Amino acid sequence: MNEVMNNSYHDKVVIRLIQFSIIWALLAMTAGVYISAELIWPDMDFGQFWLSYGRLRPLHTNGIIFGFGVSALMATGFYSVQRTSHVPLFLPKLAWFCCYAWQLIVLLGGLSLLAGWTTSKEYAELEWPFDIAIAVTWVCFGVVFFGTIANRKIKPIYISNWFYGALIIVIAMLHIVNSLAIPVTFGKSYSIYAGAQDAVVQWWYGHNAVGFLLTGGFLGMMYYFLPKHSGRPIWSYRLSVVAFWTFTYSYIWAGPHHLHYSAVPDWVLSLAMVMSVILLAPSWATMINGVMTVSSASEKLKTDPALKFIVLSLAFYGLATFEGPMMSFPSVNVVSHFTDWTVGHVHSGALGWNAMITYGTFYFMVPRLVGTELYSVRLANIHFWMALAGTMLYIMSMWGAGVSQGLLWLSVDEIGELSFSFTDIMSSMTPYYGLRLMAGMIFLGGTALMAYNLYMTVLGKQAVTVQVPKVDPAFGVNS
Amino acid sequence: MSTDIYSFLLFKSLYQPIEAFKQLEQVRPSRFGILLRYSLWLIILPPAFSLIGAANFGWRLGAAEPLVLPTRSLLLVSAGYFLVLVFGLLSTSFISRWMAPTYGAKTGLGRHVALVTVVSQPLAVASIAHLYPHVFVNILVLIPTMMWSMYLLYRGIPIVLKTSPENGILMASSLLAWLLVAAVSLLGLSMMLWTLGMGPLLGV
Repeated sequence: MNEVMNNSYHDKVVIRLIQFSIIWALLAMTAGVYISAELIWPDMDFGQFWLSYGRLRPLHTNGIIFGFGVSALMATGFYSVQRTSHVPLFLPKLAWFCCYAWQLIVLLGGLSLLAGWTTSKEYAELEWPFDIAIAVTWVCFGVVFFGTIANRKIKPIYISNWFYGALIIVIAMLHIVNSLAIPVTFGKSYSIYAGAQDAVVQWWYGHNAVGFLLTGGFLGMMYYFLPKHSGRPIWSYRLSVVAFWTFTYSYIWAGPHHLHYSAVPDWVLSLAMVMSVILLAPSWATMINGVMTVSSASEKLKTDPALKFIVLSLAFYGLATFEGPMMSFPSVNVVSHFTDWTVGHVHSGALGWNAMITYGTFYFMVPRLVGTELYSVRLANIHFWMALAGTMLYIMSMWGAGVSQGLLWLSVDEIGELSFSFTDIMSSMTPYYGLRLMAGMIFLGGTALMAYNLYMTVLGKQAVTVQVPKVDPAFGVNS
Repeated sequence: MSTDIYSFLLFKSLYQPIEAFKQLEQVRPSRFGILLRYSLWLIILPPAFSLIGAANFGWRLGAAEPLVLPTRSLLLVSAGYFLVLVFGLLSTSFISRWMAPTYGAKTGLGRHVALVTVVSQPLAVASIAHLYPHVFVNILVLIPTMMWSMYLLYRGIPIVLKTSPENGILMASSLLAWLLVAAVSLLGLSMMLWTLGMGPLLGV
């Protein structure tokens, strides 16, 4: 029995992480829909602080990024690192610890946000006790992941592992540096940085969290699961390696483009803009690599409803990675900054890229993990069209709202006075927010369909035990 | 077959798209014939509507007063709009032809111009909403139209370009990526021109 256990993959922890990821997706997206309704009907907080926009918004972003996103990345990371290394997970008990510790952090952290604890740093709102817990859990995640790679039976380290590895190392670095603070009480601390320095560190963190977590981590997912889905090797492995290193080198400089027209020195902003434009090259190299991989496997689309999600996610990845550098031009940024265009841009990435590729991956993994067929292909197809419609409607309404806001805020009359008041402009945005609310509900509805579909798929089933296959001697560690 | 027939087929795709697609697949459309006798006239509609609308009502971006621009500026903006649409039509046709061999689709350029024209036709017709240039009214009309156009793109490619439905999905998604990028470039380019002084008076 022990012999079998030692030589089979640890997949139960993967299933549990996927379940948590879907629960967080539902909760955090519901929070998003609720706050988008609050922008139309501000009274919807019913006088309760914890229901106010200011507290629910960080709950929405943290829930999506850390609850849904990181749980999905841990699940897919654990799943793929075992299979690309041909060994079971290193320290499986530690992997279980990571799984539950992370969920506890998201749960208690979310409650602390509702209670009003916040550092006020965007995407790093959690207070210092949570920051320490995150750092410890994250290092454990790294130990399991890199320990598995160190034990590997296959000599080359497959490209997806480079991306997951970069995710673990860079996020640890960003999180620890940006969260350095002096605690005052259990629920309040002050950052050790001040002024423009604080802003630069914060956006070095913020932008690279987008870069290495929401882009790099999910690219790891793409590089493992797309070839698996399509039954074809990556179109150009060399291109994927070149793209990895250019991506890693250039992303880290791009953060200050969030701070155009501020007290940060101009040369820092120009450098950030140039690096943002350079980033287009590795981003699109990856997109082309993905598109070409799947292009030779079109017949798979007949049998695999999930592949469509991944194909479409690449289209939105292309859009978001083009839109971002464009918005870093000062002459575009002066209009787009602080408007809903930015919100639309983030969601073309978050809905169109992150959520779609995760959905595609879950539809692929879950039936295989429990050794059965997907409960309903039809529901998955309906989900696909709902996800596409929701994302498009979201982006379009925010483009309309954002451009209108940007132009109206900047409009001046003949004597140079502002033509419109801020409150008038914002109150005229209601129709766009109505469309956005609809878009959010459509997207959330699709996610709920997936949750039901996958729940019915695993209902009453046990995880399949998968034996580690024999290693081809040509690729073995001793070859 | 004379060019009049193609023009009829393109027009027919507005109300009987699938039937028109099937007939388009049977013919060999000439690229210049379609372009000069149909497509260019179609895409002159949006700039013309927006010129008339903006001159009469001014742009309503949501706040109280409409932005009224001098006729010279409006002419310039509309001419720019037309040129961008021509560029969009041609570049999308060329990109579509460039992608075609990858997805086992037919490669005649005339066919791709016809496809792009058919897909963009509902949007060009719905641009009649520009006559009342209230941004939200336009969005309300153009978003459903755009979804219809996307449906035509996904349905049209396998029929007009004669490839499998699966390859059609892949090719349509690749073209969608290009169209999204083109749309957001247009947005960014307009912002740059506006901040450089073309268009409304901005305090930048």
